[in-house]
Amino acid sequence: MTGVARQRVQGLLWISPWIVGTLLFLVVPVGMSAYYSLTDYSLIESPVYVGAENYREMGRDPVFWMALRNTGVYALGCVVLGTIVSVLIAVLLEQRLRGSGMVRAIVFLPTLIPIVSASIGWLWLYNGQYGLFNALLGKIGVRGPDWLGDAAWAMPSLIVMAMWVVGSAVVICTSALRDVPVALYEAADLDGMGPVSRFRHVTLPMISPAVLFNAVMAAIWGLQVFAVPLIMTKGGPHDSTLAYSMYVFRNAFEYGRMGYASAMAWVQFLLALVVTVGALWVARKFVYYRGT
Amino acid sequence: MLWPYTPRGKQRVPKGRAELQYWEKWTGIEGLALQKVVDRYNATQGETDRAWVHLVPVSDITSKAMVAIGGGDPPDVVGLYSYSVPGYAQARAAMPVDQFTGWSGELSSRPYLSGVRDLLEHDGHRWAGVNTCYTLGMYYNRTMLREIGRDPDRLPRTVGELDELSDALTTYEAGGRDRLARAGFLANVPGWWSYFWPIMFGGALYDRASDRATIDSPECIAAFEWLRASAKRVGVGAATAFASGYGRNIHTAQDPFMSGHMGMIVQGPWLANFIRQYRPDLDYAAAPVPVAESVYDPERPSGLLEADILMIPRGCPHPEEAFAFLCFMQRQDVQEELALAHCKPSPFVSTTPGFMENHPNRSVRVFDAIAKSPKVQILPRTTAWKQYSDLINTAFDSVWLGADARTTLMDVQTRAQRMIDTAAARKRQRAGSGVGA
Amino acid sequence: MTGNRGTTSGRVGGRRSGLARPWLYALLVLVGVAYALPLVWMASTSLKPADEALSGSIGLLPALKQPAGDPAGSASPLPPHSSSPSSDDRPYIARLGSQIRNNYREVLDSSVADFRQYLRNSLIVSTLSVIGMTISSAIVAYGFSRIRWRGRDATFMVVLATMMIPFTVIMAPQYLLFKHLGWIGSLRPLWVPAWFGGAFSIFLLRQFFMGIPRELDEAARLDGCSHWGTFRHVIVPLARPALVVVALLQFIGTWNDFAAPLVFLNHQDKYTAALGLHMYQTEHTTTPWNLVMAASVMVIAPVMIVFLVAQRSLIEGVATQGLKE
Repeated sequence: MTGVARQRVQGLLWISPWIVGTLLFLVVPVGMSAYYSLTDYSLIESPVYVGAENYREMGRDPVFWMALRNTGVYALGCVVLGTIVSVLIAVLLEQRLRGSGMVRAIVFLPTLIPIVSASIGWLWLYNGQYGLFNALLGKIGVRGPDWLGDAAWAMPSLIVMAMWVVGSAVVICTSALRDVPVALYEAADLDGMGPVSRFRHVTLPMISPAVLFNAVMAAIWGLQVFAVPLIMTKGGPHDSTLAYSMYVFRNAFEYGRMGYASAMAWVQFLLALVVTVGALWVARKFVYYRGT
Repeated sequence: MLWPYTPRGKQRVPKGRAELQYWEKWTGIEGLALQKVVDRYNATQGETDRAWVHLVPVSDITSKAMVAIGGGDPPDVVGLYSYSVPGYAQARAAMPVDQFTGWSGELSSRPYLSGVRDLLEHDGHRWAGVNTCYTLGMYYNRTMLREIGRDPDRLPRTVGELDELSDALTTYEAGGRDRLARAGFLANVPGWWSYFWPIMFGGALYDRASDRATIDSPECIAAFEWLRASAKRVGVGAATAFASGYGRNIHTAQDPFMSGHMGMIVQGPWLANFIRQYRPDLDYAAAPVPVAESVYDPERPSGLLEADILMIPRGCPHPEEAFAFLCFMQRQDVQEELALAHCKPSPFVSTTPGFMENHPNRSVRVFDAIAKSPKVQILPRTTAWKQYSDLINTAFDSVWLGADARTTLMDVQTRAQRMIDTAAARKRQRAGSGVGA
Repeated sequence: MTGNRGTTSGRVGGRRSGLARPWLYALLVLVGVAYALPLVWMASTSLKPADEALSGSIGLLPALKQPAGDPAGSASPLPPHSSSPSSDDRPYIARLGSQIRNNYREVLDSSVADFRQYLRNSLIVSTLSVIGMTISSAIVAYGFSRIRWRGRDATFMVVLATMMIPFTVIMAPQYLLFKHLGWIGSLRPLWVPAWFGGAFSIFLLRQFFMGIPRELDEAARLDGCSHWGTFRHVIVPLARPALVVVALLQFIGTWNDFAAPLVFLNHQDKYTAALGLHMYQTEHTTTPWNLVMAASVMVIAPVMIVFLVAQRSLIEGVATQGLKE
């Protein structure tokens, strides 16, 4: 009994940096923002209590819904396209081709590039007049659109850019592919499966935990998107790429509506919590799959 | 050398000086001109006045300043836009300049234009110094007018004449009306002042006495109906494509007006600077923006007056030195030097001899006359203006694309008024709870 | 955890691949080119003179054409540095060299941005946060892996959950906290939190610590070592590779961070390289793309070096994520 208690004290002592840090830099600020979310607070003025007004305001703020929708579209695009792209590249990399190690490194590298550099680089690629994409299109006689300046093209362009940073997902997928037992492929061969049905019935189920994990991470990543649209489009044209986090930032630090921004951050926090709990639940499921 | 020990700029500061941080939004030619002025100030600082001003260019300055002041980490002087004054005043985020000891000797008697003085004051106090002012005018490409057989000295005065000239200048690329080869006048290029157009019809956006938005007035509706009609006449698709093609190149060598793809443009006096830089041979003229027939008055032109301003943030490290610098910046010679470099009119009632004559903007008298006109307007002096203007921007976009002007503006009116009322209610609440300061 | 990793590789396709090998190679090259292109193009633009960057040419190296006869060019005054010396008959490589030096020097000497200072700030912040993060995460990971206590696994779940909370959710609340602490405008908000451990680093190190045989620290404890002694003399030396990965990832993460500096820093002399780059790009009314790309390349360079040196361990570190239990 005392041993158990002492062990627990020991354990808590060792993890105390994390406990203190989480309390100080997560729990306290989030708690403070819970209070501020009930006030009208302009950053340079003292807060005034307004009750649930900020939460009601969200309901009738069209820009809020627009931002929520944009973020959903972006996250969905990242999840769907990102899953397809990362699985395909991972399968390609596991084909025992010479040079695939190098390509793997090349595909992974963009995930380490500062987001500002990446965004500015792509801003340049997408430039309507002098950008590489339109220069290349021009060579084959196509007049490319002003990718980021056109409300119809801006969001798809940002999603395509997100495909450039799927390196982590690819790496996770490849290591899952390597864990697929050879025996299963041999059995599939004996059953006379073609490559497509073998991929469909053997490979995919076996790597599905990794794919699902990637999808969850892509969803979380996509839902928090901030710097990319901030730098590349400033949310425009016509708010078509205004992301939720950007709108929080705008309200807090541009419009000086800290109360409203706090309320929005809280809603975002709850949404993130839902996704996280979902992710942990999914993760638990995996252990079960693997075990059987 | 990648790692010099001291940051650049600090190296040349003489010992014992109070180092002031001055944030300003200008870069390029305008920034260089300001740097010259600041250098001059630093050079005059002797044994008694021991200050050194660091001019720091800051982008998105409005929000940066607010975040810095709110976070308790402000610069000593900050260059903002005049619309920030009400908000800063109400929050006491800036120090009222009329509370400094040097006020009565230095600043109280500056002969500002009355519109400019309005922009610097709020709730009976002076909150800022001016740092150049401007009005908006219509620029014409005179060569283009001659090409289509018009008299370049007889510029449109009314909206009807403007429309007629614009139509005459407009040409399309071969194969339909999808792409403009040359535009006459387009209100969405550069789409920076979507709140400007009511002025052409004698409308106002806000009534200060009753604290009410007035964008539902017949004049404002007429203005937006005119916008909708002019977009339709050119072709909404063609106009939008033109704007998205050229919209990002304003003030560059590919600027639609300077490159001869647009015959007329509403712009500020600074455009002359860019013409000087990129198209010194361009034959242009500026005139007051044409107005509705009933509003036209050659002696008293209509227009919008705005100013850049200097404020001293509350909680800044060196308020007294900042005030001394602000006084220096309010000197007539300093403001005229900046105005000349920025191609703008003077913010003062009278100008020193030679100012107009040697001015690099050949149309400076036009901008100056608008600034002095009794009919000149300033932007709504309410803390809700920024949000209000966002609503107007959105309304402009949808009316431009064909939405009904009246219903759109009625909606803006309702929402803007709610914002204004909320702002007023908060102000009362803060005053009531006594935590304002 | 799965144990049977990576004995042989490439089982997916095998001999009976659906696509002929040449096609697969073509595909591989295509993927490689596509992913390398943005960086290559960025670097390529940073070498060019301004007019050539905007010429729509798709050559990777600048042509550096001689201004022959200067057709009507003298009317528009070009900014200094951007035009090559008028008649220069040095070999191409020498002209290229001075062109590159011009671009990069113009960025470093820019009047709107002090990149030397920004790079230095980034280095300070990154160093401090790497040290803090590595030490504290190792300590916390020890508590989560080498000591058995009730509630440990449930608590660890909470750690994993915090990993999922995006920074943008807490940036506004954290701003309010740092405002109360009087830290706004200083570099502290950028590195102090790292001294309390980070979820991902803790996770990574815990995985590694779990793989160290228990007998080792039991032996150490029998020799009279305290937990601290065991940690110091058994675990840390054995876990050096994992600690290096955590340190490198933290370095990259801090170096690249944009949102936190954007929110917490006000004065330019405190800017980090990433924030300075953003400012440098927005500060120009007309973007001088060649210079912005040069600035961008400078900001990428340190990360690139880290990647080239430690590519394999970084990739493996990231791959571990997928093997969450």
